[in-house]
Amino acid sequence: MFLHNYIYRLKCLIRDKETVFWTMIFPLVLATLFYMAFSNIANFEGFSPVKVGIVDNQELQENTNFLRALASVSGETAAADDRELFIISYVSRAEAEALLQSNKISGYIYIEEDINLVVKHTGINQSIIKGFLDDFKQTTSTVMTIVSRNPMVDQGLLINTIAERREYLKEQPIGMENPDPMVVYFYSLIAMACLYGGFWGMKEVTAIQANQSPQGARISLAPAHKMKLFLASMLAATTIQMGIISVLLLYMSFVLKISFGGRLSYIILICLVGTITGVTFGTFISSVVKRGEGLKIGILIGVTQILSFLAGMMYDKMKYIVNTKAPILGILNPINLIADSFYALYYYDSYNKFFTNIAYLCGFIIGFSIITYMVLRRQKYGSI
Amino acid sequence: MVITVKNLVKRYDDLIALDHFNFEVKEGEIFGLLGPNGSGKTTAINCILSLLKYDKGTIEIYGKPMSPDAYDLKRNIGIIMQNVAVFEELNVYENIDYFCGMYITDKKLRRQLVEEAIDFVGLRDFRKFYPKKLSGGLLRRLNIACGIAHKPKLIILDEPTVAVDPQSRNNILEGIQRLNKEGATIVYTSHYMEEVEEICTRIAIMDKGRIIATGTNDELKGMINSGEKLTVEVLKLEHGILEGVRGLPNVVSAEFYDNLLIVKSTKGKNNLVALLDYLKTKNISVGKIYSEPPTLNDVFLEITGKELRDQL
Ligand SMILES: Nc1ncnc2c1ncn2[C@@H]1O[C@H](COP(=O)(O)OP(=O)(O)OP(=O)(O)O)[C@@H](O)[C@H]1O
Ligand SMILES: [Mg+2]
Repeated sequence: MFLHNYIYRLKCLIRDKETVFWTMIFPLVLATLFYMAFSNIANFEGFSPVKVGIVDNQELQENTNFLRALASVSGETAAADDRELFIISYVSRAEAEALLQSNKISGYIYIEEDINLVVKHTGINQSIIKGFLDDFKQTTSTVMTIVSRNPMVDQGLLINTIAERREYLKEQPIGMENPDPMVVYFYSLIAMACLYGGFWGMKEVTAIQANQSPQGARISLAPAHKMKLFLASMLAATTIQMGIISVLLLYMSFVLKISFGGRLSYIILICLVGTITGVTFGTFISSVVKRGEGLKIGILIGVTQILSFLAGMMYDKMKYIVNTKAPILGILNPINLIADSFYALYYYDSYNKFFTNIAYLCGFIIGFSIITYMVLRRQKYGSI
Repeated sequence: MVITVKNLVKRYDDLIALDHFNFEVKEGEIFGLLGPNGSGKTTAINCILSLLKYDKGTIEIYGKPMSPDAYDLKRNIGIIMQNVAVFEELNVYENIDYFCGMYITDKKLRRQLVEEAIDFVGLRDFRKFYPKKLSGGLLRRLNIACGIAHKPKLIILDEPTVAVDPQSRNNILEGIQRLNKEGATIVYTSHYMEEVEEICTRIAIMDKGRIIATGTNDELKGMINSGEKLTVEVLKLEHGILEGVRGLPNVVSAEFYDNLLIVKSTKGKNNLVALLDYLKTKNISVGKIYSEPPTLNDVFLEITGKELRDQL
């Protein structure tokens, strides 16, 4: 009987095209759009150094710190270390202007009292140059303040140490695979997809509740234990959503080449916990909001979008803003917890963070399930 | 007794949907619950099935109190609800099999029962069809098949013929009679008095949450004063004759239009003979003659003072 119900519920779910669209096609399309939108930025990560002109004058030669900084991001050593940012031509001011006009360089730098950047138009390459200069200025001013208090320190050495430390921070924790800041987006997208499992949970509650559908009334009249029916339904919902998440993961890792850090069993674990969170979230909404299919779906989509936003799906810095300004919001947000677990798997060797998140998610699952149970336990209704 | 309902009261907030509702259904009968829209038929059925909470009263099925957990009772009941309750994502065969599987676990037996149900409602050519592709009448038949495939002893049908074409309607009514012949007790609700008159062995007429009369077709008609309606074809009716007809004993009303003389009378013997005799004495030649016994509408009209038909 359990198997009978499970199989038929699964059939009903798989053949529901509209819900399959929302839970599977929509996240796949979104992932593809993210990928296309980020491919420019991703390019900067890997290769194609920016061509820059530097006006070779007296002041440049005197600014050894700047020369050293330039050397660290250009030339053969930098290329060998895979951190080559610029291809530099040392030229005169007039030559630089000519190169810029003929688009041979993205911009040129000249030093006269201050360090100046000249560009023809703005774009990603120009931002990169500007970012580099801003970084340099900030570092040197830090250095200046340290030096002014402690004149014994060798400035050049200090700058390099700071620069290297930054390098160290950037490279080291990532460790195992290529660093990619875009993973925030993709991880929170997977988390959102997990919560979309709520569509199935919702559908299942509607299908077996006598006061929510005529089918539910028919099922309620059968000589079958309600909770057993419900468990078969939940299992069917979890099965299909796990299938969908697997498709999404395979698509992301094999087609979009997003990296997950490679600990497969843990990835499956977080997907499963995330999916169950999503499914129970749906049963919770469906049992609390009695009527109105549209209203329920609206609530599910609305809440999921807000939580995704807070978890950094639309704007990656959001995650840090939440984590620093209101960490409790991060804990109360299942999407953040799921995305963060992927993050933890990717960035940390220890599983502490990962399992803490899983524990919080289990809290959500238990909460949603208890409320659903309280509502479903009732078998007679005031009105249907 | 298959169903015993005593003093059932059901309120929806201010509205009293069932007001001290009483009825009994005996083994082997086709019991009709006839009432206009909103009279409380569906509410009564849902209370009996323990889907709805009620405020007062007792409900017993096969002598045992009905409750949501009374699985041994539920196993013997088949329900066809007013709203079609099938899954869009399952085809005809799968829908029947799904619901039947909640009653019958043996796979082989179930396959046989499902096939029988498909033949019973005449959906053999449509077994792979999804509900969306079925016409209204065929969909109703599927709805019925889902409720009866497990061969229940008690079958409750709530307006199974609403919005159904005459062909499917006849198929459904015949089917119900066949199920009854095979041994099932039937409870049938409808606001179509012709259907109820045609198939039900006993009828309860309800209005505004109350049972206003119960009995067989003939018993109900015997309760009222109205007798038959006589229609006589005459070519011409001279002045004064209509008044004369109205003056005959037992005659309640007489009208003449379109060459038809329509006479309604109270119960009594020889009403037709008396009318024809009178027309003969006036030398009026008579064409076709019809005599119609009173209908359940007349019963409803006489008891409630309003037409059952008006409510349709
Ligand atoms: N869920 C509900 N909430 C409030 N009032 C209701 C509800 N369901 C039914 N009613 C009211 O109770 C009365 C009886 O309704 P019910 O559906 O039982 O009638 P019915 O005889 O089945 O009518 P129909 O022939 O239209 O199916 C009606 O007046 C209806 O408006
Ligand atoms: Mg009804």
